[in-house]
Amino acid sequence: MIDKRLMRLPGMNRVLTMLAGLALVQAFVILFQGKFLAQAIVHAWARKPMAGLWPFIWAFAAAFALRQAITWLRNAMAEHAARRTAGDMQQQLLQHLFALGPATVADEGTGNLVTMALDGIPETQNYIELILNKILNMAIIPWVLLIYIAMQHWLAGLMLLLMFPVIILFMIILGYAARDQSEQQYAGFQLMSNHFIDSLRGLKTLQLMGVSKQYADNVYAVSENYRKQTMSVLRIAMLSSFAMDFFATLSIAVVAVFLGIDLLNGKVPLYPAMVSLILAPEYFMPIREFGSDYHATLNGKNALSAILAVLAKPVAQPSQTGLTVGPWTAESTLSVNQLDFRYGDRQAISDVSLTLHGPQKVAIIGASGSGKSTLLNLLGGFLQPEAGTPFTLNGTALPHLAEPAWQAHLSYIPQTPYIFAASIDANVRFYQPTASAAAVTRAVAAAGLADWVAELPDGLATRIGEGGRGISGGQAQRIALARTLLDEKRDVWLFDEPTAHLDIETEAALKETLVPLFANRLVLFATHRLHWLNEMDWVIVVQAGRIVAQGTPTDLAANSAAYQELVHKMRGEFDEVAE
Amino acid sequence: MKWRNEQWLRPDLKRYKGLLFWSLVLGMLTFICAGALMFTSGYLIDFSATQPLFAAIYVPVVLTRAFGIGRPVFQYLERLTSHNWVLRITSHMRRKLYRVLESDAAFVSEHHQTGDVLGMLADDIGHIQNLYLRTIFPTVVAGGLTLIATLLLGWFDWGFALWLCVLLLAQIVLVPAWSLVVDKRRKLQQKQLNQTAYVDLTDSVLGLSDWVITHREADFVAQATAAPHALSQSLHASARFEWVRNFVAQLLFGLIPVSLMVWVGQYWTQTAGMANWVGAFVLVIFPLDMAFSGVAQGIGEWPTYKGAVMRLNQLQPTTRTLPKQLPTPQEFQTLTLDHVSFAYSASAPELIHDTSLTLHRGDKVALLGPSGMGKTTLLQLVLGDLTPTTGQVLVDDTPVLAYQEQRNNLFAVLDQSPFLFNTSVKNNVRLGNEAASDAAVAKAIDAVQLTDLIAQLPQGLDTPVAEAGFDFSGGERQRLALARVLLQDAPIVLLDEPTVGLDPITEAALINTMFTVLADKTVLWVTHHLQGVHRTDRVLFLEAGRLTMDGAPQELAKTDARYRRLYALDAGMKG
Repeated sequence: MIDKRLMRLPGMNRVLTMLAGLALVQAFVILFQGKFLAQAIVHAWARKPMAGLWPFIWAFAAAFALRQAITWLRNAMAEHAARRTAGDMQQQLLQHLFALGPATVADEGTGNLVTMALDGIPETQNYIELILNKILNMAIIPWVLLIYIAMQHWLAGLMLLLMFPVIILFMIILGYAARDQSEQQYAGFQLMSNHFIDSLRGLKTLQLMGVSKQYADNVYAVSENYRKQTMSVLRIAMLSSFAMDFFATLSIAVVAVFLGIDLLNGKVPLYPAMVSLILAPEYFMPIREFGSDYHATLNGKNALSAILAVLAKPVAQPSQTGLTVGPWTAESTLSVNQLDFRYGDRQAISDVSLTLHGPQKVAIIGASGSGKSTLLNLLGGFLQPEAGTPFTLNGTALPHLAEPAWQAHLSYIPQTPYIFAASIDANVRFYQPTASAAAVTRAVAAAGLADWVAELPDGLATRIGEGGRGISGGQAQRIALARTLLDEKRDVWLFDEPTAHLDIETEAALKETLVPLFANRLVLFATHRLHWLNEMDWVIVVQAGRIVAQGTPTDLAANSAAYQELVHKMRGEFDEVAE
Repeated sequence: MKWRNEQWLRPDLKRYKGLLFWSLVLGMLTFICAGALMFTSGYLIDFSATQPLFAAIYVPVVLTRAFGIGRPVFQYLERLTSHNWVLRITSHMRRKLYRVLESDAAFVSEHHQTGDVLGMLADDIGHIQNLYLRTIFPTVVAGGLTLIATLLLGWFDWGFALWLCVLLLAQIVLVPAWSLVVDKRRKLQQKQLNQTAYVDLTDSVLGLSDWVITHREADFVAQATAAPHALSQSLHASARFEWVRNFVAQLLFGLIPVSLMVWVGQYWTQTAGMANWVGAFVLVIFPLDMAFSGVAQGIGEWPTYKGAVMRLNQLQPTTRTLPKQLPTPQEFQTLTLDHVSFAYSASAPELIHDTSLTLHRGDKVALLGPSGMGKTTLLQLVLGDLTPTTGQVLVDDTPVLAYQEQRNNLFAVLDQSPFLFNTSVKNNVRLGNEAASDAAVAKAIDAVQLTDLIAQLPQGLDTPVAEAGFDFSGGERQRLALARVLLQDAPIVLLDEPTVGLDPITEAALINTMFTVLADKTVLWVTHHLQGVHRTDRVLFLEAGRLTMDGAPQELAKTDARYRRLYALDAGMKG
């Protein structure tokens, strides 16, 4: 019943022991609260003097207040432990995401991970608190009360004892029946809320098709349909808490009747009967509270499992060689020998070998899904092959390139470079937060942004990114470029289809800026746009994860059938017209 | 905001009054039974201790059992009834939200884009559900119980009944009010922090490659955890307040059994017969704790709910003044832009300047130009989604604004990201024409060359588009949308950069299919580069709101140096 994984968390055992001790104390306080109440009632019933009633009332009030105080203390202790544990877990999760790198994170889904780190953590905290409070209550309080009730009236005690497994049994049986249905319902709920948001997001499409007005009734009909389904599920799902309530209240009623009959026959005095009746609801209280929070515990458990699964993913360890990488010069080399890479079951890269040396400009071309991006990610160290030492950097054999010394030379510019929600200045300074204002101005000018920035009322302080000023795709590329230029030691540039979203004139303008900057750098450029090949001195043709041709553009154009075929397909009608 | 003008809670409270009435009554009956169970049990035991005849305790025995069964039964029925009511109301609210947004359908994504406003509005409806279930219903039930308890006790002792009423009102008025005052700002701050946390973390994770190559792990974690940490601190402060509040509320509640003991000690001990009611009057109060303890929490959530209610109330349906709507013609000969200019407002920059253009039936026209230079605005003017500041768009001699009601008979549009609904492939295609037969759908699928792909799907045309493990690629999505356009069978087709983001091989194939299947249509095609342009009769260049180039592609290739340069660049030859 107690999640064993929680017990492995640091400090959890100690907290659990202390809380269990407090729960035990509380059980006795509850017992005394009931006892004094029963004594007060018996006293009043016997019509003894009012003066004699006051001690019982005061004692009851004291026990009542003490019980509430212990609840406060227990909540505070449980919350403290849970908050600390969940906070640590959040920290670990983010560190782990960092270590896993962008390629794995994109694979898991950014939205999914953000939700996990933001909603999953409080759910886990809630789960830990529930375990520490509700389950301990159930494990301790009923049994102290039961022993006392049995000592007063063994039949009432036996009756209550027998009811406990019956309640648990019905909870389980109905729980199973409801679970299948509620899983269906959950799926239905997802479908429903997706359907509704779908209708809102697809409004424009509906309007273009001329059906958006009448679709309003479809929204209503689907929602009503869902309501009917939900109600039929709720009828069963709520039976579980109905059964629990039913047996708990009915057994209180039955105990009351038993006690009444024994009193009638003079078998017991009033006090034992009264105290049993008062404590019976307290006996059932913990299990009822647990039942009402059962679904919250399920959510927390799932959230915890999901977080632990991400934390269990292995991360690349930098090699212990103390690798240093100097500036990329004519003598520098990076060779790749028989590189393989799999995404789960899918072979993404097979038997890739290549050598890069000195300031080369290398194009990587291939159809969509051929493995261009994967290859770039492997060269950037964002993905790591499972086995072997396929990389050799300046003579050092390496199992992967997730090496800080190598990555310190890299710049990676994807199709849509990420623009942080910050000022232009902060975005450009990202690699070099301490750069001088003059250096930023130079980088901005070199990236061709000077005129645009000059027109902005706030200049470099203009906020861009989410919630800031909107910028075009070409400007985003140029900001990423300025970011790279500011950090002069970054002399290995990886581009992943940087111009795919740009219109032809914007692309032409960007190209004019870029090409002169390629000098003296190692450039790896994955692209679909063939005019870039004119600027490259090496071309790698990728097909289904393999390199099918590599060489200088002129050499490939003359001699490689694979290259010729790909270029022909990409040109499409341009060739037809030329012919 | 005045309650009189409230649009999202007030109208719905009048719906399904029967269900609403019964949810509240059943809610009260649940607690009445719970109290009555302890009341009759207490009486039963006290009375039995006087050892009367069995027949004398028969009625309390039966009542004890009846109340013992009644409580769970009423609770079960109450939950079902209240959920049923809330879900019925939800259906109305969804339709209403949809209608309000629909009035601005052409611009809904432009006007509601930052973050996910649409998702947020959908969540707001969820908040209103909770407002009913967690705040309004429990408060009304607790109020009703207070009234009943006061009246019943007033029967015996008005003074004491008033004192008890004060104690119960403290639970449903004083404690919740305290809660609201103390925690209101914190709740709003938490909501704000939650949003910040979401934006910051998404920002950090999406920019992860840049963090990784700079090895700024500490900065990354610090940025990503700053807002969640502040949020956690704030929630902790709220929790601390709740412990104090609950402690005080419980102590106040504890005054009730204490008062009852004192009261019964004095009032109910005058005769031996009256003393049999001692236990009953003391024990009745304990089960009622549950009815009152949730009220403060529920009311404490009001700031969250209030935000949702306010946001929904701020949405106003958009109204446009259009000329008298006419039925669409069977045929048309020309589509004319007559000296059209457009700006969003008098002070905003003019996006289209005095543009005139005539398209004849069957023309295939490409509209080129850098992004942000008015291409999309021009399409919106042609469609009639925007009204020109001066000049007009005419279909033959009638302004296009007069055809808005049945516009889909005239225009079909294929845009950058056609929306595929989470339903079957067939239903998605059939959106183009709801009356289309299965054979017509299959024919359209065949025309866009998806027959083979669809045949591989587990349920063919009936496969849901979002089925796990299967995703349509960008090119396939466009083909599905094209099939939709074919079924719609409108004479004018507007293509708004449908190939953006596709790789050149996919793009060339899609352009090929488009022009084959749209051969007999009038096509206005907005594109950002020159792939496929030679298949059109005419190329237009729109720059800064003016047409700067106009001619047949072959002609431009001969006479226009700029066109030649761009063409060469795009075709990948030495430029």
